[in-house]
Amino acid sequence: MIYYYIPLITVFLAALVSIRYRTAGYIITAIASGLFFLLTFRIFDYITYFYLIAAIVWIITSVFSISYSKRYGGWLAPLFILTIAGMMTILYANNFLVFITGWEIMSIPAYLTVAINKKNDIEAYVFMLFSEISTVLIITAAVLSYYYTATLNFTGLSNDIVLLIFAIGAMSKMGLTPFMISEWLPIAHGSAPANSSAIFSATMTLMGVYGILKIALLSPVSIDIGVLFIIIGVISVLFGALYAYISENMKSLGGFSTIENNGVLMAAIGLFIAVSDNVLKEFILISIAIFAMAHSIAKTGLFMSIGHTGVEYFSAVKEERDPVNQIGKFFAVSSLSGLFPSLGGLGTWMVLESFFMGAYLYGPLGIASIIGGSLIAMGEGFATAAMLKIFYFTDNSRKSRGKNLENYTILGTGITLVFLFAVSFLIVGKSYISGIPTVLVFNGFMIESRLGISDFGLITPLYIVVLLGVFTLIVFSVFGRPKTRTTVSWNGGIEQGEHYNSFTYSNNIRLILKRILRTKNTDVSKVETVDIFWMIMINIARAYRNFAKFTAYKIMNSSISAYIIYMIAAFILVIIIVSLV
Amino acid sequence: MKYYEFGDKTGRYVGRTEKYDVYASTLAGIGKDEDDHEERTPGEIYFNYGPSAGGLRESVNFSILTPGEAIRDVIINSGFKRRNIRITGDSISDVMLKVERINGFHSASHSIAYALAVEDALNVDNSDLNDARIVEIELERIRSNIDVIKGLCESAGFAVPEKQLLLLREEVARIISTAFGHRYYFSVNGINSVDGDFSRITLNSVEKQFRSLYDGLLSSKIFLDRIQENGIVSDPLSTGPAARAANFRYDARLDSGSLNYGKYSTVMESSGDTFSRFLVRAEEILESINIIESYDIKKIYRKNRMELNGSGEGTARIESPAGDLFYYVKINEGRIMDIQMSSPSYLNMRNFRYALKNGNIFTDFFFVWESFGIWISELEVRFQ
Repeated sequence: MIYYYIPLITVFLAALVSIRYRTAGYIITAIASGLFFLLTFRIFDYITYFYLIAAIVWIITSVFSISYSKRYGGWLAPLFILTIAGMMTILYANNFLVFITGWEIMSIPAYLTVAINKKNDIEAYVFMLFSEISTVLIITAAVLSYYYTATLNFTGLSNDIVLLIFAIGAMSKMGLTPFMISEWLPIAHGSAPANSSAIFSATMTLMGVYGILKIALLSPVSIDIGVLFIIIGVISVLFGALYAYISENMKSLGGFSTIENNGVLMAAIGLFIAVSDNVLKEFILISIAIFAMAHSIAKTGLFMSIGHTGVEYFSAVKEERDPVNQIGKFFAVSSLSGLFPSLGGLGTWMVLESFFMGAYLYGPLGIASIIGGSLIAMGEGFATAAMLKIFYFTDNSRKSRGKNLENYTILGTGITLVFLFAVSFLIVGKSYISGIPTVLVFNGFMIESRLGISDFGLITPLYIVVLLGVFTLIVFSVFGRPKTRTTVSWNGGIEQGEHYNSFTYSNNIRLILKRILRTKNTDVSKVETVDIFWMIMINIARAYRNFAKFTAYKIMNSSISAYIIYMIAAFILVIIIVSLV
Repeated sequence: MKYYEFGDKTGRYVGRTEKYDVYASTLAGIGKDEDDHEERTPGEIYFNYGPSAGGLRESVNFSILTPGEAIRDVIINSGFKRRNIRITGDSISDVMLKVERINGFHSASHSIAYALAVEDALNVDNSDLNDARIVEIELERIRSNIDVIKGLCESAGFAVPEKQLLLLREEVARIISTAFGHRYYFSVNGINSVDGDFSRITLNSVEKQFRSLYDGLLSSKIFLDRIQENGIVSDPLSTGPAARAANFRYDARLDSGSLNYGKYSTVMESSGDTFSRFLVRAEEILESINIIESYDIKKIYRKNRMELNGSGEGTARIESPAGDLFYYVKINEGRIMDIQMSSPSYLNMRNFRYALKNGNIFTDFFFVWESFGIWISELEVRFQ
């Protein structure tokens, strides 16, 4: 049995090794991640798909870090690997205690990474605050679970309170609504080195999804909580995508994109919790696993692409291109835009199919489902615009040995996404696999969405990839290499002036949504947007401060009589509450 | 100079020549302009448009300062079409040939203003030609305003009314051609001279067709949505239909003595947006038809060749289709020694910039541009 835990032991050892031998530490981590996948993954056991996702991301980021982390101090490697060790602990956990231990092992090195990287406490404290909120709530959920089941093991629950508390805790970690208002996630993820940002965004938030799903599998069906999660998810999708599109800090854009992706997952989990039809429920579960897989791998590619530029802001990127980097980046952003032929396309299709099938459940859930699906589709549209921004404005090919390895790692990410899309029919449950032999789609190659026994939609991922390849080859063999001619673009008859930059590219949304973004010209005429979430938070803080002032001056004002009245009132109130309970 | 004198500013600002700032009745030295262009802030770019690009009839370059979509300011370079025209020492009649070609589309206005300035300098009695010249200018105004409205339709993608207005513009050009022998009034105007058969001017069909198109455009919500509340400008330093659209009663037909319009009512609007400029242009077409019909000239004028050997200085200011057009001439024994011209496009270009930067986005550009009816040809002339 001990061999089952070898990857976990190995990754902790890798953290130690990396203190002195950075490259060795990363290599051992990549190997441990591979072993972890081999030992834990079970086909059609969808919860173990999270192990596959995590292993792929850890392997890719570890390889990427071999070159990338050379520009940072020796502190980065042990903290990076320790964060992975924490996450692996979470995935191994079969009770709350181990889960919470892993949660903290994952989080504390992450704060340190941000703090050391930024040489500034604020981002790390923001990160710590919201992470610890999540920890407190998860501990609360654990206590409640113990109260109901008399054990800290993950076991069947008779009500949904544990799920609700746990989910709120995990949502804090995932940066979802209402915790999105603080924008802690983009701030924190945008403040770490790119390899750490990648694992924060791709797998740390995934731990939240994993945790919620694990508890949801143990909880009874609940339409109320399901609809609540759908609402939270959809709001996160829309605003995450919107803020990603207008973000000028590339890593913040990635952070907002993570909120958007987590929003989709949260909404899908909500639907999963609310639905009682077993066929649809299983399809939703597969959708969640596939979407999470696509998000995590593509987000890793995205952060590596951003890290490869060597800068934080779009405005600092130099306009040179590397085809290897671009191909990888293309498939990563395609995936995050929910487009074929990448895994994200399949994930998005499956999630949307789940919601649109949910419409046939009628009642409040049916309405929430159809509206939720439509809004998620709209959010994906915004996300595509944000991803185009990343694709177009992050070209930089300063050549070095290390950087070339980075480019090939990014390419590897893109190829992985296409490969997984092509073979996705192998990891989807048999009841959703079929074919239409009469049109040469053979049995076993077609994924079908189903509501009960009836078909809803279908897709043939392998055919898409193969046909794209075949047609490309046919065109290439018939017409040969495309003849291209480079000309200077016409610029009204004068020399080429300036080009659209990332800010001008996304300014249309600042203008269209000026009621939400409060777009305005400042005193120096610069177009600025006011973050409506920060505004709400600041207003709440002001109201609280005013309330505190009022309390301080009117009640807690060192007046003995006021104190006595206060004490008596508090005493009476406590008595009433206790008697009611 | 019967109507002007050199001195400090008096009355409203009319425009600028190479040497002078022109006011309602004085010529003053050129004042200093302050650069009030917006400073570029991080993230903003200068988006280039022109000088040779689709949608532009003449060569002009716009560097649009933008944070994306929104227009914060524009730097306008009209110098691509600069023309240096040699006139010093030329005879009065030779200069007329050059003046009427400064802006072919507004040739009547330029040639009449020049003739009036020369007649002022040489104390020529021109009262007999007052009505005929007004009819020429008003006929030119009809064609010019139809062209501006056609431009607005083109900007809105309204191909059918655009083509109908083009046809109507052509019909007016043919009326001009029939009456005067040239559709751009070339060789029609001279010093104390007009050459044309005014009896052949009939505008019934033009009025009928235009009213139908005008009513159609006013009932199109799509068209009105595109031009209402964009390109708003209300600046005392303005001229022509743009000024009258912003509730400034500026009109050389009212306050210049060069041509006597008699009793005349000015078309006014108050919003200062593209829609108001459209309304003023359209209503002025109908008003011009009224003016022409009220004179009811059925006479044939023939060219009157005068021996012009006198000396003196003279000025004239008339209301061209786009606003105040001013000419100053200095003559020495029948030879032009100096000529100064202030075209309405100077103030219109200035106000176009202010209108454009007033909360507009890229798609508003053409509406605002077309609504001012600016001609680069008359803006970029340097006399030598």
